[in-house]
Amino acid sequence: MRPTGLEALKGVQAALTEVILPELQSMFVQDAAQWMSMMMESLAGEWDTAAQDLDSDNRALGELLSQARSAISSLPQSNDSLAALVKEIENVLREPAADSLALSVLGARHSRLNGVMEKVLVELEEAAGRPGMEALDAVRQGVYRHLRKVALRGWSFWDVASFRERMVRARAEAVT
Amino acid sequence: MEDRIAAFLKSRLTAGEVSVSNVYRIPGGASRETWAFDARWRDAGKEMQQGFILRRDPDASVLETDRDLEFRVMGAVHEHGIPVPRMFWLEQETSWLDRPFFVMERIDGCETSPTKVLMDPRFYVVRDKIGERFVDILAAIHRLDWRALGLEFLGVPAHEGSCGMMEIERWEAIVDREALEPQPVLRAAFRWLRRRLPPPAQRIVLVHADYRTGNFLCDTQGQIVGVLDWEMAHLGDPMEDIAWACLRPWRWMGDEQVGGLLRREQFYEKYSAASGLRVDEEAVRFWEVLGNVKLAAIFLTGGRSFCEGRTRAPMVAFLGRNVRRLELEVMDLMGV
Repeated sequence: MRPTGLEALKGVQAALTEVILPELQSMFVQDAAQWMSMMMESLAGEWDTAAQDLDSDNRALGELLSQARSAISSLPQSNDSLAALVKEIENVLREPAADSLALSVLGARHSRLNGVMEKVLVELEEAAGRPGMEALDAVRQGVYRHLRKVALRGWSFWDVASFRERMVRARAEAVT
Repeated sequence: MEDRIAAFLKSRLTAGEVSVSNVYRIPGGASRETWAFDARWRDAGKEMQQGFILRRDPDASVLETDRDLEFRVMGAVHEHGIPVPRMFWLEQETSWLDRPFFVMERIDGCETSPTKVLMDPRFYVVRDKIGERFVDILAAIHRLDWRALGLEFLGVPAHEGSCGMMEIERWEAIVDREALEPQPVLRAAFRWLRRRLPPPAQRIVLVHADYRTGNFLCDTQGQIVGVLDWEMAHLGDPMEDIAWACLRPWRWMGDEQVGGLLRREQFYEKYSAASGLRVDEEAVRFWEVLGNVKLAAIFLTGGRSFCEGRTRAPMVAFLGRNVRRLELEVMDLMGV
């Protein structure tokens, strides 16, 4: 169906900035309209790959959690909190993978996986550099690699201002 | 709005007739509505007029803060040479304007927008001077005797070594309360911070806690005539303000210059000379990680307000979706 969702979003954004914004008198409402326009830019930037990104994130999180489980289990010494975490990882990994590409389904799965990852990463951070915990270092690095990839996604108004040089560097690193 | 403000002023000015005009809302002010207006009245037979700013509590915001804290701190520092607008009235009663508010002096002919301050040729030519004033005023805030100013009500840290942990706990509680989704990077950062507490503060000072380009009014002579947004002010480690001023989100020009104004080494040197305090780079790194986490927590708070329908402000919604770049910065600073 045309216009597609993406075409419609971009069209609404254009209408807002080219038709509505010049007619607005109050500084406050002009400012609000500009924020709305930026919001649409951000949504449009993620529209096409939203399902794909969530699906690939879910796979990556699943893989990283599985690595974390193995690494924690291989530690010479464990403790109650690590043992409980292994159980939690096993539970979330046992859940069947989403059989739908609906964003709500993928998002709910993502939230569960990320919720466990949150706890895992805190433990990894606690273990970093401590003797006897070296087995966790590789997983920690892998998790941060994934989180960096996610953190670079999408469009932010900062990309053309405060983060301009940082984003140029990040894109150059991604190419190499 | 004019009539309601006029009625309030009449009750405070003990004037006969008060007329209010040119009421308009100023964009920004993510945690409190900001309104400007002009008022005219007669005082002892003399015609008076004045521009005012009214800061009213919002329905919801990116940060829940205490209005009388900001009012009291600004009032106290104004008396001691820090350039802030003069504070007039704090009103907790909701019958006047539906929500609590305070009224302060409006300083005209100045600019606060970072884009204007850093790019408009009229300000560009005095940028070095603005940078110098920016440092001098921060040092002056940190030199204030907060006990003599009666600012103990802000909460005195137990000792110089407890400032870092106090702020970690404050912001972690906000993430606990406000996050709608898991936040692996922020949670890991809190753990990282707990393991790397900074050395004890060289002295406990009044921390502005939002001191940055965008939060001061300056003129085309390069004078900073008003430091704004004191709502997060507290007592703590001066390095917290140093780090906050250095945060990447406030480097509006997209390069490494602090606040788009001066190089980091210059900033440190000038601050040390003006304050007598040494800038500890490892402590600044700690506070810079925490600063980015704090900003993310503020955005998450706004995101929740929007999702729960307590605000319809597009800025709040948009900022709520901008946590990723802060996470990137946090990971860069953590070196992971």
